[in-house]
Amino acid sequence: MNTQLETKSQTNKAIKSVSKRNKTIKNILTYAAFVGPALLFFIVIQIIPFFMGVYYSFTSWNGVSSTAEWVGLANYIKIFKNDPGFVNSFLFTTKFMFAAVIISNFIGFGLALLLNAALKSRNLLRTVFFIPNVIGGLLLGFIWQFIFVKGFASIGKMTDLAFFKLPWLGDENTAFWGIVIVFAWQISGYMMVIYIAALQGVDQNLLEAAKIDGASNWTLLTKIIIPLILPAFTICIFLTISMAFKIFDINISLTNGGPFNSTQSVAINIYQEAFQYNRYGLGTAKSILFFIVVAIFTTVQVLATKKREVEA
Amino acid sequence: MKRFFLMAITLLLVVGIIVGCSSKSSTDDKKDDPKKDDKEETVTLNFFQFKVEIAEQLQKMIDEFETEHPNIKVKLETVGGGADYGAALKAKFASGEKPDIFNNGGFKELELWKEHLADLSGEPWAEHVLPIGKVPMTDTDGKLYGMPVNLEGYGFIYNKDLFEKAGITEPPGTISELKAAAAKLKDAGITPFSAGYGEWWVIGQHLLNIGFAQQDDPVAYIAGLYDGSQKIVGNEKFAQFKEVLDTEIGFANDNPITTDYNTQVTLFASGQTAMVQQGNWTENMITEINPDINMGFLPIALNDDKAASDRLPVGVPNNWVINKNSKNIEEAKLFLDWMVSSETGKRYITEEFAFIPAFDNIEPTGLGDLGQSILEYSKADKTIPWTWFRWPDGANKEFAAVIQEYAAGKIDYDTVLQRFQESWDNLK
Repeated sequence: MNTQLETKSQTNKAIKSVSKRNKTIKNILTYAAFVGPALLFFIVIQIIPFFMGVYYSFTSWNGVSSTAEWVGLANYIKIFKNDPGFVNSFLFTTKFMFAAVIISNFIGFGLALLLNAALKSRNLLRTVFFIPNVIGGLLLGFIWQFIFVKGFASIGKMTDLAFFKLPWLGDENTAFWGIVIVFAWQISGYMMVIYIAALQGVDQNLLEAAKIDGASNWTLLTKIIIPLILPAFTICIFLTISMAFKIFDINISLTNGGPFNSTQSVAINIYQEAFQYNRYGLGTAKSILFFIVVAIFTTVQVLATKKREVEA
Repeated sequence: MKRFFLMAITLLLVVGIIVGCSSKSSTDDKKDDPKKDDKEETVTLNFFQFKVEIAEQLQKMIDEFETEHPNIKVKLETVGGGADYGAALKAKFASGEKPDIFNNGGFKELELWKEHLADLSGEPWAEHVLPIGKVPMTDTDGKLYGMPVNLEGYGFIYNKDLFEKAGITEPPGTISELKAAAAKLKDAGITPFSAGYGEWWVIGQHLLNIGFAQQDDPVAYIAGLYDGSQKIVGNEKFAQFKEVLDTEIGFANDNPITTDYNTQVTLFASGQTAMVQQGNWTENMITEINPDINMGFLPIALNDDKAASDRLPVGVPNNWVINKNSKNIEEAKLFLDWMVSSETGKRYITEEFAFIPAFDNIEPTGLGDLGQSILEYSKADKTIPWTWFRWPDGANKEFAAVIQEYAAGKIDYDTVLQRFQESWDNLK
C-alpha cells in the first residue's frame, strides 16, 4: 500500500515536471515568435553592419576596391593627431546639441502646458504643432533654405528690418542659429506630444489639494507637476540629445556644412570622408568614435535624470 | 488556438523573409554566370547615369535603340543634379545591383574604379575620339577604359548688349582690362558679376582650376605637388589668382556666399548682371529665360599676358564606362558603339543633347552661341586643361570652403594659400 502511494506521488511529480517543462518551452517559443522578427531585423540591419564598421575602421578601404588592407590603429591615430576638420565639426555639433536640446524642450514643454489647458481649439493646435515632425528632414531643410535665402531677403527689402536683412545662411553665427531654429521647429511638436501625455497622467487630486493649501501656479508647476513628470523629461532630453547629435538631413539640405565648413556636423564630416573623399576606413573609424561619445552623453544624462524621478 | 494561429503566422513571415532574401541572392548568382542565355532571349542592360539635363532625351534615344534591337532592353536610371552620384553608385555596387553602363570622371576616378571597368581600346569608335577626349580614361599602360560623353568649356560668360550699354567696345582679355570693364559696368548701374560662391564646384573646382591649368606644364606641376617638389604657397600663378578673386568678389551681387547655381544663372539670364562664371552647359537654362540674349565667352585672365590668358578651360566632363563583369558586356559595347556611329545616335548627341562631340567623325550642329564659342577655341587649340580630376579626392570641396572664408573676409590671402597647401598635403 505504502509503496503504491509512493509510486503514485512519484508519477504525479514526473507529470508535473513534464508539464512544467512543456510550459517553459511554450513560453520560450511564444517569446521567440514575438521578439524574433524584430530581433532578426535588428541584428541584420544594426548589429552586423556595426561590427563590419568596426572591422573596416582598422582598414584603409576606399569603398570600391574588392580588397581592404589592414592598417591597425592608423586611422584612429590620424584622427587624434591631424584632423582639425573633425574636431571643428565635433565642437559645432556639441554646441548645437546644447542649444537645440534646451530650446526644443523649452518650446515643447511650453506648448504642452498651454495645450493641456481647456482651450477650445486645442486638438487642432496639437495637430498643427505636430505636423512639422511628419515632414521629412531633407524636404524641410530645402523649404527653410528657400525661406532664409529668398523669403527673409524679400521681407527685409519690404520692411527694412535689420533682422531679415542678415545674410542668414551666409554667416557662421546666423547659419548656426538657422539650423537650431529649423531643428526646434521640427522636433518641438514631438516633444509636446510626450509632455502632454505625461501632464494628463498627473493626479488632479494632488493639484487640488495643493491649491487648497494656497499654492500659487508657479509653486504648483515647480514643486508638483515637474517632479511628477520627470520621466517624460528623461525621455525627451534623451531623444533630443541623440537626435541633435546625429543631425544630418536638415544640416545637409540647409547649409551643406557651409559657409566654409563652419556648420558641418559630425555626421556630414563622416559622410564626406567615407563617400566623397573615398576614405571609407577613416570614415568608419570616425563613426565608431562618434558612437562612443553619443553613448557616453546619453547614458550620463539618463542616469542623472533617472535619479531625480519621484512617485506621488 | 488563437495564440497558436498568431504564432504560425509570425513564423511564416520570418520564413518568408529568409526565403525571400536567399532566393534573390540565388538569382544574382545566376546573373554572374558567364554562360550566355539563348541568343533569342531579350537581355536587359542597366544604364546608370548622372546627367539630369539630358535624361528625357536619352530615354527617347533608348526607345529608338530598342526598336532597332528588339532583343535588347535598356533600363535607364538617372541620379544627379543635386544628388550624390558617386555615393549612389557605390551603394549599387555594394548591394550587388551592379549597372552595366555607368559614368566615370577619369584620372583619379579611373584609378578608383579600374578593377571594375572593361577595356574599350579595341572598340570601333576608339580611333575617332579626339586626343583631348582620350586623356582622362587612358591608363598608364595605354588602355582606354571609357567613352567621352562630350566636350565642355567654361569662362566668364558675358552679356554683349549690357557691355555695349556701358560703353565697353573691346571684350576684356586681361585682368586689368577686366577690372576696368567691371568698374565701367558698375558706373552704368549694372552689377558686373553674378558670383555663385555658394556652389563648391563653381569656385573650388572651376575657378581655382585656372591657377593649376595656367602653369607652364600643369601635369608636371601637379605631379610635383604630390611628391612635394612643388608648392602652392609662393607659386606665381596662385599669387596672381588673388586678383581674379578680388575682382569678382568686389564687383559681385549681394551675398555671393549664399548664391547657388540657379540663382547665379538666373541673375545673369534675366539681365541683372553682365557676367557669370559658368560653362556652355548653362546655354539652355539661359536661353529658356531669355531667348534673345546676346552672349559670348571671356577667358578668365590671371595677369596681363594677353596671349596666355586668351585660352578657355575645355575638357571631358565625364565618360561612359562598362562593367567588366557584366553578363551582357557585348550588348553594352554594342549600345555605346551605336550611340556614336549610327545616324540616329549621332543626331541625338548633336541636336537633342546639344553636346559638343568629342569625336572627329561627328559634325557638331545645333550648337548655340556658347557651344560654338567653345568649339572655335578648341579648333584654334586655345585651351587649357581641366585639372581637378587629378587632384586628391575631396580637395575641391576643401578649397571651396577656403575661398568662401576668404570671400567672407575672415582670412587674408596668405592664409588662403597656406590652407590650400595644407588641404592638399592632408588629402594626397
